[in-house]
Amino acid sequence: MAIDTTLSRRTFAKASALTAAAAAIGVSMSDLLVETDQAYADSAAETKVVKTSCHGCIQMCPARAYIENGVVVKLEGDPDAPVSRGSLCLKGINQIHTMYSPRRVLHPLKRAGERGENKWEVISWDEAIELAATQITQAIDKYGPYSFFSSVGGGGAYSFIEAMTMPMALGSPTVFEPGCAQCYLPRYATSALMWGGHSQSIADNDVQEIFRPIEDNKTELVVLWGAQPSISQTAESGRGMAELKAAGAKTIVVDPCFTPDAAKADHWLNVRPAADTSLLLSWFRYIFVNKLYDEEFARYWTDLPFLIDVETKLPVEAKDLFPDYQSPTPANTPAYVCVDMNKLAGEEDRVDKELSADKLAAAVAPFPYSLPKDSPVVPKMFATVEFGGRKLKTAAQIYWEEAEPWTLEAAEENCWVPAARNEAAILEYANAKVGGIVCGVAAEQTPASSPVIVGCMGLDALMGYVNKPGCTLTTYGEGEKNNPTKRPVTFVNGFDGMFSDMYGVGAVIGMSPEENEARINAFPKEQQELMNQIMIDRLGSVEHKGLTSWCHSHIPTVLEAIKTGEPFKPRVWFDMSGNKLAMLGNATSWYEAFPEVDFIIGQYPMLTSFHIEACDLVFPLREWLEEPQVNMNQLGSIWIQNECTHIGETVSHSIPAAQVLERCREKWGGKLPGLIPGYLGAPSEKAVKEEVAGKFGAKDWDDLQKNLDTYVPKFIPYDDYFKYNQHEVIVDDGLPAGFGTESRKFEAYVIQYIKMSRTGYPFFYPKPQKPASADYHPTCFFLEPHETPLEDKEYPFAITSGRVPYFHHGTMRHAPFARELYPVPEVKINPADAAELGIAHMDWVKIESRRGEIRGRAYLTEGVSRKALWMERFWNPECFDESVPKEKQTAGWRECNINVLTKNTAPFNEVFGSYTNRGFTVRISKDKKPDNVWVEPKEFQPFMPTLQSEPVTEDVF
Amino acid sequence: MKRCLVIDLNRCTGCDSCVVACKHENGIGLGEYWTRVATVGPTGKNPDIEMYWLPSQCQQCENPQCVRVCPTGASYRDPATGVVLVDKSKCIGCRYCMMACPYGVRSFNEAEGVVEKCTLCSHLTADGSGEPACVHNCCAGARYFGDLDDPNSPASKAIAAANPADVHHLPDPQDSRPSTAYILSPKIATWKELS
Repeated sequence: MAIDTTLSRRTFAKASALTAAAAAIGVSMSDLLVETDQAYADSAAETKVVKTSCHGCIQMCPARAYIENGVVVKLEGDPDAPVSRGSLCLKGINQIHTMYSPRRVLHPLKRAGERGENKWEVISWDEAIELAATQITQAIDKYGPYSFFSSVGGGGAYSFIEAMTMPMALGSPTVFEPGCAQCYLPRYATSALMWGGHSQSIADNDVQEIFRPIEDNKTELVVLWGAQPSISQTAESGRGMAELKAAGAKTIVVDPCFTPDAAKADHWLNVRPAADTSLLLSWFRYIFVNKLYDEEFARYWTDLPFLIDVETKLPVEAKDLFPDYQSPTPANTPAYVCVDMNKLAGEEDRVDKELSADKLAAAVAPFPYSLPKDSPVVPKMFATVEFGGRKLKTAAQIYWEEAEPWTLEAAEENCWVPAARNEAAILEYANAKVGGIVCGVAAEQTPASSPVIVGCMGLDALMGYVNKPGCTLTTYGEGEKNNPTKRPVTFVNGFDGMFSDMYGVGAVIGMSPEENEARINAFPKEQQELMNQIMIDRLGSVEHKGLTSWCHSHIPTVLEAIKTGEPFKPRVWFDMSGNKLAMLGNATSWYEAFPEVDFIIGQYPMLTSFHIEACDLVFPLREWLEEPQVNMNQLGSIWIQNECTHIGETVSHSIPAAQVLERCREKWGGKLPGLIPGYLGAPSEKAVKEEVAGKFGAKDWDDLQKNLDTYVPKFIPYDDYFKYNQHEVIVDDGLPAGFGTESRKFEAYVIQYIKMSRTGYPFFYPKPQKPASADYHPTCFFLEPHETPLEDKEYPFAITSGRVPYFHHGTMRHAPFARELYPVPEVKINPADAAELGIAHMDWVKIESRRGEIRGRAYLTEGVSRKALWMERFWNPECFDESVPKEKQTAGWRECNINVLTKNTAPFNEVFGSYTNRGFTVRISKDKKPDNVWVEPKEFQPFMPTLQSEPVTEDVF
Repeated sequence: MKRCLVIDLNRCTGCDSCVVACKHENGIGLGEYWTRVATVGPTGKNPDIEMYWLPSQCQQCENPQCVRVCPTGASYRDPATGVVLVDKSKCIGCRYCMMACPYGVRSFNEAEGVVEKCTLCSHLTADGSGEPACVHNCCAGARYFGDLDDPNSPASKAIAAANPADVHHLPDPQDSRPSTAYILSPKIATWKELS
């Protein structure tokens, strides 16, 4: 911790009179400042500069906090950070205002009036824990463990593991978050199933390769498919993209809106909201027809040449067609079947060149796993063949049949991207030596989540943009994945499969059936059976089995269960983050269900619409300047989020649930009804701090703080962190490592989707789940949004969403310096549409969907196509601010909140149950400003910080 | 010495972090700004459009109109650094300077009744070691600070690295000679002469 006494603006103002005099007599200002500075330093408070990390979004840029007498007075980016390079965006800088906001909750609050009245009583922590534990134990005693449920998500809270595991500790299956199936879970789960590696998300720090220092960076091309790094993660991946562009890399942006990243891009594809599948299939078609794919990678490292049984939709193994065949590889590495080009001398392997069935049948051959150079066959990509009484197609052939209708012209008609524009982008993508797709959250905010993700991953596999310098899908990091010595395997239940071994559930992909059976039988039965039953009973898990990747419930099915009590009624709710009414789709449907929930517990650093409308009890949480955590990883360097100060009786995010569970345990005589270990979260600040200290290799928290510059950042040696061609490394079975999939290949045709839809395998194991009503699609496939502007006469506009740089999820709406710049959501509309409707720039407008209506201000721009609209999520804490007369107050979620319009009803995404946050239809008309909504900068004065005078307090637990 | 900012518009994404960093660093009130970011565009017809962002703050003119009109001598250009400053003890809040400034980048501090403006964070940079908060925190690495008379300053280097045709200044009808330069390549967007 350095001591710094630099001159503040206050002293500069004092000095400026002197400066003017100095100017008159020609003395340099800096000479005078030295003197002034010294005079100031003698009287000034000590300013500490402390290493920390921002938590204004999930990327956690390293930052420096200036602390004066315990008060944080300034934040700035840490110039040593490898990707953010000293940048800190306004979400981070504004934490000074939210930390000391007069609207902070500093003590536990118990509801004192009716729900919605915003009347609270301050109670002690002991009373608060007792109240929560009493409600939970009484409900479970009366109705059973399934009466408890938890939730998380919405920004500004970090309880993902805690929300997942608190129900486990109580024996309940029910947890949800408005993100999950609508944010990151589909990408996370699908990438694990397709190649056993990370996803194409940059927001979640999965993709790191493209942000390497410019001297080590080989990236030629990045496709940002529905991703907006410059506004979502401005200081980190936004900065990384700025450096990459400055170094000459090309970018293609696929987005209905002309985002900052689109403005910088070489190609902008103005896709219609949620019409990505026809665009993706046009890329597949063009690349197939023009044979632009990496033939060697596609043939030998993907499952695309495997012959698939048209009836079972699964690849046939060599032993099925050739009973005498002796596979040269072990049981965990099956030999499959292909059409061998060696037996088709003189023929070409082209999608547009069909060969006779007889010729092809004669060329069917076993396809054992090996390095390409050691392969006994040259597998043909495209073929339809009858063999042994079975109809077989290669996976690539099946892909082709999905893509075949989507010529550039057909795609233009459907998704509005002009054919020539699309073609230029495809050629840029396919002709790059190395490149890769970044798949953004847009994919997951519609029922097309799985086909868009499978398509984006599949394209990179087809192009061989895998494990090469400069590719988004390049393995990195520590351990076996990056330095393979054995056949790679993938654990799938929970983050990194954390629950697989904890409770003995889930098959391990890459183990043979015998190996999986032996593994699963070795676990104690009691925990295994309880966990398996919880998984099977989880709401929505029959239809949408992919949710099991995070052990999450299907949100609309939970809502239905609350309303109907079928198949069971969730009654006591512990929410662990921000404004559910701003973040959950079709917020009104949730508001209407609140009376069905007996008791609702919240925790957050401030009150939101959700707390006012729903909560009976609120625990006060620390802001990120107060809570010790470990940063997400920036290129193999790990940074601290420090305890820079602490006010009130606030606690770290894991503590309330841990304390409540402990009280429940006491009430039940020392035992909880659920799984063991169950809850995963520190119960005290001491435990939080020791965990952080341990991650940096410090003896304890004091040691870490005394030697902060020594321990932070912690580096993984750089050369070990980035490696390439890992799949080609020969491992202990004498074979190339390959990928952590069943076939050891990159499964662009998602074999595990098919298996999962039928039995839940690999998640539901040893005990299977009931089959879904239909098989999941193993490829990208065309999916038109349920509400489509192509047909909707009543609601003729397709609306989509995206971020603005001022907020992360539901955060910062009470940050005055954010709100004065962006006071209310803007609705981007094409000027020609606006003219037809008599709407002028910055007019207030009403937007209506089949679910409800809200207001915003029109922003006329050519940056959206005709019949497309764009609007960011919003809620308005000023609506219930104490400066507003009580009789005028509202809970601030109905005025400008696009989630009043969004659609949480079927159809859902088949694999993950994602509902429709984007790409539904609305109409728009001129309207008036809602009451209570603040627009003028000076109106935000009541949000200006006042709590700097609060004493710095000791840990509560 | 000619201290100023040089801003690379090829990088700037209009995130407004400079605006907020400035306000926190300099304790500026609601509705008052020493720097703002304007969105220029999109121009053209969807989808053939282009757009850039123009951060504007004191251009550190060599011949500042604000200094010329100031009746009390409160506005001055520091001969040592070339930075245009306001001596608030002399400012009477008449706001002539705000009307005279061709770029509208001066701000009236209502609480104190004086005019304020970007000081290039002189309290941090006076001794030549620090950098303004907007430069330090810029999320696109688009802002460079330094002395244009010193070829080794980051600001000079940024200009030297740019194609000369891509280096622009705000329009200057009154011979104010703004020091601040903007870099914009036609590959991103064509420079618009905004009035």
